[in-house]
Amino acid sequence: MRQKALNLLQGKRDSEFLCFSGMGNVTTEGMKATGIRFAQAHTDAGKMAKLAATSFRLFGFQSAVVPFDVAIEAELLGCPINFYTEVDPQEILYPTVKEKTISSAAGIRIPSDLANAGRVPMVRQALSLLKSDVGGEIPIGTYIMGPFTVAGQTMELDHLLKLCLKKPEEVSEILGIYSSLIVELAKSYFAAGADYITIREMGACSDVLRPTLFRSLVEPHLKDIFRKSAGPLVLHICGKSNGIIDSMNGCGASALSVDQKNDLRQTRESIGKAPVVLGNFDPYNVLVRGTPQDVRRAVAHCIEDGVDAVWPGCDIWPTAPRENMEALMAAVAAGRRERK
Amino acid sequence: MADEAKREELLKRLADGVWKFEEEEVVAAANEVLAANLDAYDAIINGLAKGMEEAGRLWEEEEYFVPELLLCADALYAGLDILRPHVKIEDKAKSKGVVVIGTVQGDVHDIGKNLVKMMFEVAGFEVHDLGKDVELEKFVEEQLKTNAALVCLSAMMTTSMLGMERVIKMIRERNPNVRIMIGGAPVTQEIVSKFGADATADNASNALKEALRMVSSLRTMQ
Repeated sequence: MRQKALNLLQGKRDSEFLCFSGMGNVTTEGMKATGIRFAQAHTDAGKMAKLAATSFRLFGFQSAVVPFDVAIEAELLGCPINFYTEVDPQEILYPTVKEKTISSAAGIRIPSDLANAGRVPMVRQALSLLKSDVGGEIPIGTYIMGPFTVAGQTMELDHLLKLCLKKPEEVSEILGIYSSLIVELAKSYFAAGADYITIREMGACSDVLRPTLFRSLVEPHLKDIFRKSAGPLVLHICGKSNGIIDSMNGCGASALSVDQKNDLRQTRESIGKAPVVLGNFDPYNVLVRGTPQDVRRAVAHCIEDGVDAVWPGCDIWPTAPRENMEALMAAVAAGRRERK
Repeated sequence: MADEAKREELLKRLADGVWKFEEEEVVAAANEVLAANLDAYDAIINGLAKGMEEAGRLWEEEEYFVPELLLCADALYAGLDILRPHVKIEDKAKSKGVVVIGTVQGDVHDIGKNLVKMMFEVAGFEVHDLGKDVELEKFVEEQLKTNAALVCLSAMMTTSMLGMERVIKMIRERNPNVRIMIGGAPVTQEIVSKFGADATADNASNALKEALRMVSSLRTMQ
């Protein structure tokens, strides 16, 4: 299973479909099975790794991914993070950036020893633990926010977005600094045992940025990241992405990940059959709110439309019920027959 | 007659200044409205708000995206800051009421909320903005304190929107008549029905559309 996933990320397909992810996929079922509370898992490598393995152990989900939140990079850059440790354990709240501390490129301070800064050592340790635990069976993944997304997390977003039109060269300088950070983080995570890394650039989706602005401002930095990084990197952009799918494909990632807002048939028409495309299964409206029948139908739809592996279009929302997780894995396994 | 021609010219300059995000032009036109003793409320509704309607149309046609809308908002606020202090008392009495707005706990995305807030302000609502990452109980407290007729909950991330259900129940328990509007990317009509809210907007675009519709109907009622 592990080798099949890694082969796929090198563009080698076979007749078997996989269901894995580059984003968070823990469930409340996994929290119950391990006794680990969600809020505790973001700052403890052992708990994080143990929880991350549960989707494989309980459902046969074909990857384990850490971390679970999207605030690692912002925290590294000096932003205080809210981990919601005081809320009711029944609440699922992801860590958020409490305060944005960057207003210009001059204010950015990159830690000199990145591998040991912030929660990076914890993620690295969790990767290493997962490698030892389940790494012989399934691929171990991690993710890093894309440069524009990090910019939006660390700066007032409305200020950043206005700068995109008023002073694009200033934004480009910021993205250049963050791209270097991302390349270094990727090296560190691969060294710690990650098999693949997803660059999540959801802040630059076409629900927010004009496609021409994405091409002129964001694409060059993404290309830079993929060019400078060794190892399989997936580019994930959620939301409307058909208008930029050509640009995404041109960035040089090993694979592209899209969500349910992407019209995958149109994507295949735009970029052809060769690029590896992962998606576009709706992790909330189908996996959480749908029935097992809805899940089976959605999986069949993803496969018919042309995905190379079924990936949830975002983090799996943790309250996904057991019967739907089981239906998901069974439906993907059954997808082999349809491929033939 | 000369006054009417002047009024039309200034209204057009205000509107064009907003959707073209020409802040200085909006400021100049707003100051001329005051110098010409024209009605400030009329200039806000038929000038600034009309410009934002055009921006909304460009958004729907996918010509404008969030950065453009934000610059339009800046231009609109530049005009509003000049004109609002000169709105006559009787026009202030036309206020449509109080709105409480905020982004729910776990979510720190507030641009969509800010755009919707702006449109409510233009439409004459008194807006109490709780900000972002707002604890759910705070919406209830604020609704009670202000007796707001409308509560707007914003959540852009799937991971934060489920708290809305609880806050809607809490608000409804205390005041069954309050209207509740949900906005944000992951929210759909089905979820709105499930949560018991009154209105939805699938994304900032729809939230803006609803706010624009409100402004349009207000203009029609004049």
